[in-house]
Amino acid sequence: MKLIESKTLATAQASIELTSIPQDGTDLVLLLSLRGARADLTDDPGFRFNGDTGNNYSYRTFVGNGAAASSGANTSASFNYLGIINGSTSTSSTFSNASLYIPNYTSGLSKSSSVDCVQENNATTGYQTLVQNLWTGTAAISSILVYSTYGTNFVAGSTISLYKITKGSDGIVTTS
Amino acid sequence: MPTATYTPLATVTLGTAVSSVSFSAIPASYRDLIFVFSGVVSAGGGEVLRVNFNGDTTSGNYSAVFANGDGSTTASGTDARRFGLMYASRSQTVASFMDYSATDKHKTYLSRTGGASNALEMIAGRWANTAAITSIRVFPDANGFASGSTLSLYGVIS
Repeated sequence: MKLIESKTLATAQASIELTSIPQDGTDLVLLLSLRGARADLTDDPGFRFNGDTGNNYSYRTFVGNGAAASSGANTSASFNYLGIINGSTSTSSTFSNASLYIPNYTSGLSKSSSVDCVQENNATTGYQTLVQNLWTGTAAISSILVYSTYGTNFVAGSTISLYKITKGSDGIVTTS
Repeated sequence: MPTATYTPLATVTLGTAVSSVSFSAIPASYRDLIFVFSGVVSAGGGEVLRVNFNGDTTSGNYSAVFANGDGSTTASGTDARRFGLMYASRSQTVASFMDYSATDKHKTYLSRTGGASNALEMIAGRWANTAAITSIRVFPDANGFASGSTLSLYGVIS
């Protein structure tokens, strides 16, 4: 796993875009530390590939909030979902963590991805969100845009890091 | 120069449908292992993916607890050797095997799995054996992995 790019917001910003994605890897991992400026306890970021704003995305969620579990689905969306993160009314200085795993990102097939995200509020209610995403685009992923689906900002100090994983063989392990 | 933490051990992209895939001769020189599956079932709508270690096919030696959501309802339960979910539409599983080469503890794994058109799930599993893991066999309950599916194993250095 090799770090490709890391960005930290110096000022509040509506989106973060990664455009220098190399095409010689197998899988991508994004690690994010985010806090939204939305005037609410939570915010809901999404992400898009290759600038595709069409309804070519779908996802299912599995959410726990400390009291109950729930599940939801969006079968025709204009983004893939990153999970529930801190909004501006959550405890100050709390940021949410999320990891996004994208296998086979250069394949000519549709692209799946999975998300583990936690919103910790130093209070009774916090959210853990698991997401399974699908983008029906068949082009290799060359850019990723992360943004708030409410059109609000991410606060300064939010970070995003992109890692590349390359498949291969150690010459020892065999498959059958 | 950053240190590579995922060392690729083996990858197979299936040219034909198969009922199982095994990773063998796994060296003990890593801290943890990471397994990645991306693909679809060879037939049917969906099924559970299972795992065996070191050729141990005795179901009673394995335990797993899972929690999942299908877009409207949630569920949790136990199911020996449960390792993932796979469907006719694109599915993926990313699983970690912690301290797989230790010889003083039972082996555990964590799996994140599912398909955006069906359901998603998290699984925690245990193999009640202290032997180092030297082989991993993954297999759906019925049918198999479709052609084009990709399965990879990585070693994570400490």
